[in-house]
Amino acid sequence: MEISRKVLRPVLAFFLVVALLPCIIDSDYLVRFSAAILLWIGMAGCWNLMSGYTGYIDFGPVVYFGIGAYITGISMSQYGWAFPAALALSAFVGVLVALPMGAVTLRLKGAYFAIATFAFAETLKQIILEFDRTFGVSFFQGSHGITLPLTAHDNTFFYYWIMAVTTLVTVAHLYIEGSRFGYGLKAVKDSEKGAQSLGVNTFAVKLGAYLTSAGFLSIFGGIEAYWISYITPADVFHVHKTVQMVIMTLLGGMGTLAGPAVGASFLTIISEILGETFVEYYLILVGAIVVLVVMLLPEGLMGAYRDIRRRTGAGPKRRGGRKP
Amino acid sequence: MDIVLLQAIINGVLLGGLYAAYSAGFSLVFGVMGVVNLAHGEMVMLGAFASYWMFELYGLDPYLCLPLSATLLFAFGYLVQRLLINRMMGRPHIMSYLLTFGIHLIVANTAVKLWTHDFRTVTTAYSGSNISLMGLTLPSARLVTFGLALAVVAALWFYLNHTENGRAIKATAMDKETARLMGVPIHHIYALTFGIGAAATGLAGASLSPITVIYPEMGLEYTITAFCVVVLGGMGYMPGVLCGGLILGVTQSLATTYATAGISMAMSFFILFVMLLVRPKGVLGRGLAA
Amino acid sequence: MRIPGWDEDKLLECRNLTKTFGALRAVDDVSFALWKGEILGIIGPNGAGKTTLFNLITGELKPDKGRVLYRDRDLTALPPFRIVRAGIAKTSQILEPLKSLTVLENVLVAATHGGGLGLKKGRDRAWTVLERVHLTSAAFLPPSSLSVLHRRRLELARALATGARLLLLDENMAGLSASEVAETLDLLRTLNASGVSFILVEHVMQAVTGVCQRLVVLDLGKKITDGVPQDVMAHPKVLEAYLGDADLTDGKDPDAPSGGIS
Repeated sequence: MEISRKVLRPVLAFFLVVALLPCIIDSDYLVRFSAAILLWIGMAGCWNLMSGYTGYIDFGPVVYFGIGAYITGISMSQYGWAFPAALALSAFVGVLVALPMGAVTLRLKGAYFAIATFAFAETLKQIILEFDRTFGVSFFQGSHGITLPLTAHDNTFFYYWIMAVTTLVTVAHLYIEGSRFGYGLKAVKDSEKGAQSLGVNTFAVKLGAYLTSAGFLSIFGGIEAYWISYITPADVFHVHKTVQMVIMTLLGGMGTLAGPAVGASFLTIISEILGETFVEYYLILVGAIVVLVVMLLPEGLMGAYRDIRRRTGAGPKRRGGRKP
Repeated sequence: MDIVLLQAIINGVLLGGLYAAYSAGFSLVFGVMGVVNLAHGEMVMLGAFASYWMFELYGLDPYLCLPLSATLLFAFGYLVQRLLINRMMGRPHIMSYLLTFGIHLIVANTAVKLWTHDFRTVTTAYSGSNISLMGLTLPSARLVTFGLALAVVAALWFYLNHTENGRAIKATAMDKETARLMGVPIHHIYALTFGIGAAATGLAGASLSPITVIYPEMGLEYTITAFCVVVLGGMGYMPGVLCGGLILGVTQSLATTYATAGISMAMSFFILFVMLLVRPKGVLGRGLAA
Repeated sequence: MRIPGWDEDKLLECRNLTKTFGALRAVDDVSFALWKGEILGIIGPNGAGKTTLFNLITGELKPDKGRVLYRDRDLTALPPFRIVRAGIAKTSQILEPLKSLTVLENVLVAATHGGGLGLKKGRDRAWTVLERVHLTSAAFLPPSSLSVLHRRRLELARALATGARLLLLDENMAGLSASEVAETLDLLRTLNASGVSFILVEHVMQAVTGVCQRLVVLDLGKKITDGVPQDVMAHPKVLEAYLGDADLTDGKDPDAPSGGIS
């Protein structure tokens, strides 16, 4: 893995600020709000890892968030597992489910991949809703949802958990930006056939990105479940979570390191300002932003920023590495 | 044959007709332009609301409203394509899904602001009326919608295969560049296609108003069902829409009768998922694969 | 899997390759062999099946019948990336560099994935290859800014960077001026001298007669004849095949069917 200092410095600075933030601000509300932003940065980052870099548009990433939430919920409430162990199990199960799912769906292209991933997420939601009633057991609790053991921890605790996982997601981005694997993904995005003809095992790199994304999303699902301590299929598998991940990444810039962070911060802040009372206005605004971004800034805010720098003569990056 | 089973199959067939009616436009738009229109359900919703308001305000029968809904939606579809989606052609497909998803958010939530979350129904003299036949119940409004579905699919089929504009649309779908060289005005043809798809969808939406509840957020569910229907029948293949609608309708009806409505939802997504993997060209094998 | 009785001097052998598209027999029972260090040309009129034959070798198409053998291994119907890693790379007729990557990164993908090298060693090889094809000055440019000649060289560089010992060039010289063709031929000869073998599909006769040591002639999917260029060009069947196809410089194969609606 190779990381240029120009990239590493702002990333380290960002996480230093993030790590110190709860010590500086003395407001539970702000800690909670910052944690929410970090969570969305991480989740949008997960979507970006897969879809942003490969161009395969996943419309069902929420399924892994939901799986993580349920695994953590059930292992903690019914089997009395400790939180970190529950998270580890969530990640494991998420990846375990993603393995066959990725293996079959990644053979599909374009809209078909998008629809299949969406269909899978909705199928699993319905199965969890109906499982207990259909089989006469008491396991997922259907639409009643699961109540987790009440947490004694404050928002700062969850802030640091979210920060840790979001940091790992960022490390995964850095790895993609400077590795053989990352070049494979970028090649897939440009042309799958072209990538194959250069010797890229396109299936393997796509699956790698899909599994990474699924694993991290499962952990996020687990953290959120413990944080809000009550989950239902309708909430944790909600299609709007997918939509948020997609739109935040799109707004910031797909397939870029900073894109998800920029887009997630922007939209979370707007959502907070408009609040629950103006939720329709928020959604109308998000719709308008999507239309405008697609029409005017197809590469997102980061793409626009890059173009401006290029035009003002900041010069092209010597991408690919200097001559030995 | 068991009367419960027979009734379930008949309900499924009628439901399937309804599905086909509002999925035909989705299939058309995908087949010609490769656009997966995520705002499709909103066109159903707008068609239904147009008919609802005509009934509420002027007491106009929903079926008399069909031409009005169709005309309004044609204009809506033509403009959306002309002003927005046309600019996405030739760009990666994700851009068109995102664009139509943005349109979905704007239209659905503006409708919530205008008309609130309330569930509404259009109650006509014939709303609850049924035709009884040898112990079976046939709701009359659903029969009408079923007939309408056949008419919509047949009309689109005829239009595509036997009219000047229809042939231009087909030519464009097959080879855009050649069509352009032959003097086909691509942008107009695309807008026309989207307009026609929207009109057919609005028509179906209006015909839904006497048989189902309507509310501003109903759209997404209809978009999803249209996906299923069109994937089952084969993207872009008109008769496939009927076939896909019937398969989905009958499956759901059987699952609802013998299990629960929730299982029936899970079944339809499962069928969609499996179809995509094993037979992406549809059960008849005549659709487009990615 | 080892192939019994394999002649060590043989690099590639196609045995009875057949591919049909519906009623069309695009490649019909074609067999030929390539010796180590050889430059072989495949010629034939439009629609003779040349590009299809290439795609059968590179794994982009699966043959209905027949085998592709390379260095005592059976490569038939392996996925394209495995064939590249085994040592056969192709330059494309339609130029399709990875457009969001720089020229150097394009070659780097080939070196790291096709060549199986790490990033550091891959970069060394990428620079070496760019030097060999005289593209170092364009290393940091997007491929879209290159001229046709330079794009063709990029194709060549990417194929070389995979470490392939056999390169399939699909009309790598189409659209080049006479002097550019001569330059490219020099380059091929140098590469050939360093041990790389070539199969060329080419309409530019200067190229065919200039470097090819042997020719295989296809018509309507069938092999008509093979041999040294002078003999082949005088063969009556070859003359007959070409008579109906006066335009030897424009070689497009019919496109695959695209979208449609009914």
